[in-house]
Amino acid sequence: MSESVNQQPVPLHEHGQRRPMKKRLWWIAISPSVWAIHFLACYITAAVWCEKIGEGNLRPLQISVGIYTAIALPVIIWVGYSSYRNFRRGDPPVPYDFDDPTDRTHFFGFTAFLLSSLSVVATLFTVLVFVLVGSCD
Amino acid sequence: MKDPRADRLLKAWETPKGWRYWSAVNNSEVGLWYTLTAFAFFLFGGVLALIMRVQLALPDNDWLTPDQYNQIFTMHGSVMMFLFAVPILEAISIMLLPEMLGARDLPFPRLSAYGYWCFLIGGVFVCGSLLFGVGPRGGWFMYPPMTTEYQDGIGPDIWLLGLSFIEIASIAAAVELIVGVLKCRPPGMRLNLIPLYAWYILVVAVMILFAFPPLIAGDLLMELERAMDWPFFDVERGGDPMLWQHLFWIFGHPEVYIVFLPSIALVAMMVPTFARTPMAGYGWIVLAAVGTGFLSFGLWVHHMFTTGLPGISIGIFSAASEAVAIPTGVQIFCFIATLLVGRVQRNVCLKFILAGLATFIIGGLTGVMVAIAPFDYQAHDTYFIVGHLHYVLIGGTIFPIVAGFYYYYPFVTGKQLSERLGNITFWLMLIGFNVAFFPMHIAGLMGMPRRVYTFPGGMGFEWPNLISSIGAFGLGAGFLVLLWDVFRPKGKQPLVPRNVWNAGTLEWSGEVPDQPWGIRSIPIINSRYPLWEQENLRADIDAGNFYLPDAEEGRRETLVTSAVDAELMQCLRVPGPSFLPFWAAVFTGGVFIFSTYHWWIPAGCCSALSFATIVTWLWTGTAEIPEKETKPVGLDQSLPLYVSGPAAVGWWAMFITMLGDMTAFISLVFGYFFYWTVHEDFLPEQWNGEPVVGAGTIWPLVSVGLAVVAWCAVVMARRLNRGNHSVGFYSSSLLAVAATVASGAALVWGPYSNGLDPTVHVYSSTTGVLVLWTVVHLALGATMLVYCIARRLFGKMDAMHDADIVNVTLGWHFLLLTVAITGSVLALFPWVA
Amino acid sequence: MNFVPSQSALDHAGVGAESIAGLFWVMLIGGCLIWLIVVGLAVYAIVVPGQHDQKRTRMLVIGGGAVFPTIVLTALLTYGLAMLPDLQRPAPEGSQVIEVAGVRWWWRIHYRMPDGNRVETANEIHLPVNEPVEFKLKSEDVIHAFWVPSLGGKVDMMPGRENRLKLHPTRVGVYRGVCAEYCGEAHTQMAFDVIVESREDYDEWLRQQASLAVAISDEAEAGRKIFAGSGCGACHSIRGTSADGVVGPDLTHFGSRRSIGASVLPNNADNLTRWIAETHRVKSGVEMPAFETLAEDELRALVRYLGELK
Repeated sequence: MSESVNQQPVPLHEHGQRRPMKKRLWWIAISPSVWAIHFLACYITAAVWCEKIGEGNLRPLQISVGIYTAIALPVIIWVGYSSYRNFRRGDPPVPYDFDDPTDRTHFFGFTAFLLSSLSVVATLFTVLVFVLVGSCD
Repeated sequence: MKDPRADRLLKAWETPKGWRYWSAVNNSEVGLWYTLTAFAFFLFGGVLALIMRVQLALPDNDWLTPDQYNQIFTMHGSVMMFLFAVPILEAISIMLLPEMLGARDLPFPRLSAYGYWCFLIGGVFVCGSLLFGVGPRGGWFMYPPMTTEYQDGIGPDIWLLGLSFIEIASIAAAVELIVGVLKCRPPGMRLNLIPLYAWYILVVAVMILFAFPPLIAGDLLMELERAMDWPFFDVERGGDPMLWQHLFWIFGHPEVYIVFLPSIALVAMMVPTFARTPMAGYGWIVLAAVGTGFLSFGLWVHHMFTTGLPGISIGIFSAASEAVAIPTGVQIFCFIATLLVGRVQRNVCLKFILAGLATFIIGGLTGVMVAIAPFDYQAHDTYFIVGHLHYVLIGGTIFPIVAGFYYYYPFVTGKQLSERLGNITFWLMLIGFNVAFFPMHIAGLMGMPRRVYTFPGGMGFEWPNLISSIGAFGLGAGFLVLLWDVFRPKGKQPLVPRNVWNAGTLEWSGEVPDQPWGIRSIPIINSRYPLWEQENLRADIDAGNFYLPDAEEGRRETLVTSAVDAELMQCLRVPGPSFLPFWAAVFTGGVFIFSTYHWWIPAGCCSALSFATIVTWLWTGTAEIPEKETKPVGLDQSLPLYVSGPAAVGWWAMFITMLGDMTAFISLVFGYFFYWTVHEDFLPEQWNGEPVVGAGTIWPLVSVGLAVVAWCAVVMARRLNRGNHSVGFYSSSLLAVAATVASGAALVWGPYSNGLDPTVHVYSSTTGVLVLWTVVHLALGATMLVYCIARRLFGKMDAMHDADIVNVTLGWHFLLLTVAITGSVLALFPWVA
Repeated sequence: MNFVPSQSALDHAGVGAESIAGLFWVMLIGGCLIWLIVVGLAVYAIVVPGQHDQKRTRMLVIGGGAVFPTIVLTALLTYGLAMLPDLQRPAPEGSQVIEVAGVRWWWRIHYRMPDGNRVETANEIHLPVNEPVEFKLKSEDVIHAFWVPSLGGKVDMMPGRENRLKLHPTRVGVYRGVCAEYCGEAHTQMAFDVIVESREDYDEWLRQQASLAVAISDEAEAGRKIFAGSGCGACHSIRGTSADGVVGPDLTHFGSRRSIGASVLPNNADNLTRWIAETHRVKSGVEMPAFETLAEDELRALVRYLGELK
């Protein structure tokens, strides 16, 4: 066998460092899932409201969307923030394209952070609709 | 020097010869058949397109009758979407994915083969209908009530049953690919190191899992209406055609990305090779793939902007449709950035990639336009959309696939396609395509609607249409040249050197010509581009210095690793050649095809035969107890040969399949609540003089109670089996079977004793379909238990080797959920409403 | 006048079509710029050899791939959403209400009159210029879509539902509307004429449409008998006569219409003869049977009769 074969199939993380996101593939899916739930909640509330109640003042609908958003956005931002911290943990190599096998944590952190940002934008887009389109017509 | 280990390995993986060749199940063979078949359907769809362009070249043309034209455009859309775009991604993935991941095969080779044969049989059946003039003519979107009440004949049934059959095969492929990406990687290839292609395919396969089941549910509803007069879409009896549109587009929009992402995945493999540098922004690309996957499920209503929905609903989907452009933009900029930092090597592949990008961006920009609802009010259902969607699909899918043909041709055949012919193809396709499709935007804005068999002269449609028709033939000529290049004899051409493009990913480690074993020994991976970054890797692979360099027992084996970190877990024995998948597909096909003609006796025989074949296949080919518990796999490692539970690929397959199954079920439940939302009179006392009844309150709840008993007994049976209490296992299992049968009976008895007639009103038909779905699943649940009992009786399952009962228990968790939802909705919601 | 009138969304003659066309031009210019920049960059990356700085290209991914699209899309979405309430808002109380039903493959039209009556016609709509009009859209069979590109966007006609649409024409003229939703065999030949005219002309037209069938000449009287004798009245109505069928289009003032067969042919004697004698060759799939057995003089009389129904 030649010298270069790495006998250690899965190199260990640097000793003593926590592996905060071990086995967390689903971690990256949290923020977009929160977006999806917020999105569906807004759509279903609006659809049922417009079918069943219809005319008149949309204020109650807008308030419920406000409540959904007040729950959803902090969750996404929290996931994004803690992902960002995990990503910055221990000087990640620059540029972001590290493919050091020990860097799985950074990778998940970074990707989850990006997905959180995208989810924030998408959630705000949904809110924008309720600000600009104020009727069931 | 001959290595005896290599000889044994070769013998284990040998492709069968002669007529037995068709019993092959290895990913290389099945992937190749799949690709060629999908390509053949593509050519068929292309010919249909040319026929349409001939018809539309001149105004007031009557070369085709409207009926012929309607069949042709329906088939063009259906063939391209269901028989080409989705299958080609599965085909390419089946062929390439194991090689990229250094696996010998996918985890369920026979499932791939089964999917292929289903696809071939279903595809030929659906296309064949056109030759007899009985093709479907409802458009690829099949909107009721036109397709339920206003089209007799078997055209719509062929569409519904033929394509459902293929959709089920697609879901099978999705299961295979998800498990392949997550569990069959080489040791050390953590999730942040996998080839980008695998990320995209993972996302796409998950999307298939959630997008196809709603369509299958819709197909079921429509076929029930057509065959048994259950009025889901008949407004006279409370039905609503909008439900179909929701279910169709919940499938239909993700479908666009299901088609588009795998092609972009090919680009993501080619760009780094030709830029000779790793992809810039790997994490960004993963963001784009995952983000697109999620957002694409929030777009479906933008196909329904003009159906009269409230402005606020329209706005919500308009917003999500704009948001999805962001991740798409990110990946394009990652490609450009990679080209910028690298040292670009120019060739015809790269030209196709560039053409694909330039074209796709136009399609993307017009997509952003039509996602703005007011503009869609004008553009919807016009030639503007025809132009837009072809820019997206040809730019985003076809051009990258053609580039992929040039790129991977040497990988498959060991020969190269001609650069000179490639340039001719390139210019013919690029110019032909733009000449054909650009004028369509103009025609659409000038007011030309879609799906018209001709147009009157004098409105300015003549020129755009004539130009389009000319361009279409240019594009067609491009494909002819490509076809010639692919199939022309290349006997004299020398074989290409190994890794002809000097790429960095593992699929290029193979010898030329390729050996059937996939990879000589399965390496340890610690970088994204191992051929570039891991020294001596190829030599060590070739020398058999890594894992599984031998096949001592003459069995086909590959490695199973953990989902995130790719730690070694199991040495998986995968099945070899067999005709079982072929026969299973023939019989399953028979069920669907004979049902189309309402030939119930042959259909019944086929379903019995297909059941028998599938059970034989499972019985002989899965969860086999090995002759020893562990075996050395090289590098002083020993791995178990049999695992059960979450470590096993079978468990994952069960879990994923059940997710898809639940999605279809939830779609049916969605239908129930949809009717409640849109109708004041969802629960009328009577309709047309007949009483409208539901399932009652008591019996559905009894059914849920019995299902809970059955579920407890199943869980107990699993535990008793593991504790090796034979008697306990058998009695608990039998109790579970009895409770399951009783649960199903109670669920049927409720509506039956109430005198429910599903044809009276949509409330009764919706109740009926939920009961039907659940009872069929209970029957399956009971069958699986009987299977487990038999396995233990015949010594195929014991306390140590319990994968069967563990997987069945997993399935039962979902089954219990199904019964609980059905029972509580049917029993309790009428009281709430 | 040319038989085929304008059907272009860009040749706008209505408030809705005009604002949407404005939106289109803005998006078109923006789209062209973005395309040129992105494709220019890609071509540059391929054509100009040499490695570029990693950090700067990373900024490109962040700036060009993420930040810039987010800003542009936010602006565009705001523009688009802000347009929605106006387009969706119903026409003010007191506006003319017109009910249109899609039927395979023609249009049944009812004008709601101030006195509560409804005046039925088919395949031709007259509108007063510079006034918003409210359409109530329905279907009697499959899904159709009502679309007059020059005046505004389209709305589907769903069985079992009543959709609505407001059009607000701003220019006198003749426009063509079509069915935009694929609805079966004769989908291609399901169009209608829209005549936008001054308030006076419109009032005059509506008054005439509301009246019973006009008195006819002696020559046409033979045609009336043939109409009655051949059973045409089982499907068609001619108010003021015994013909009171409701399956097909109302023909009370057929002679005043521009076209035959849902805007398939110009309305003249030759075309009408063809339509009656070889209906399915003109428009494949129509429900109306072809009256091939009518003798030539019978046909001539029938055509004359229908033509006089002004």
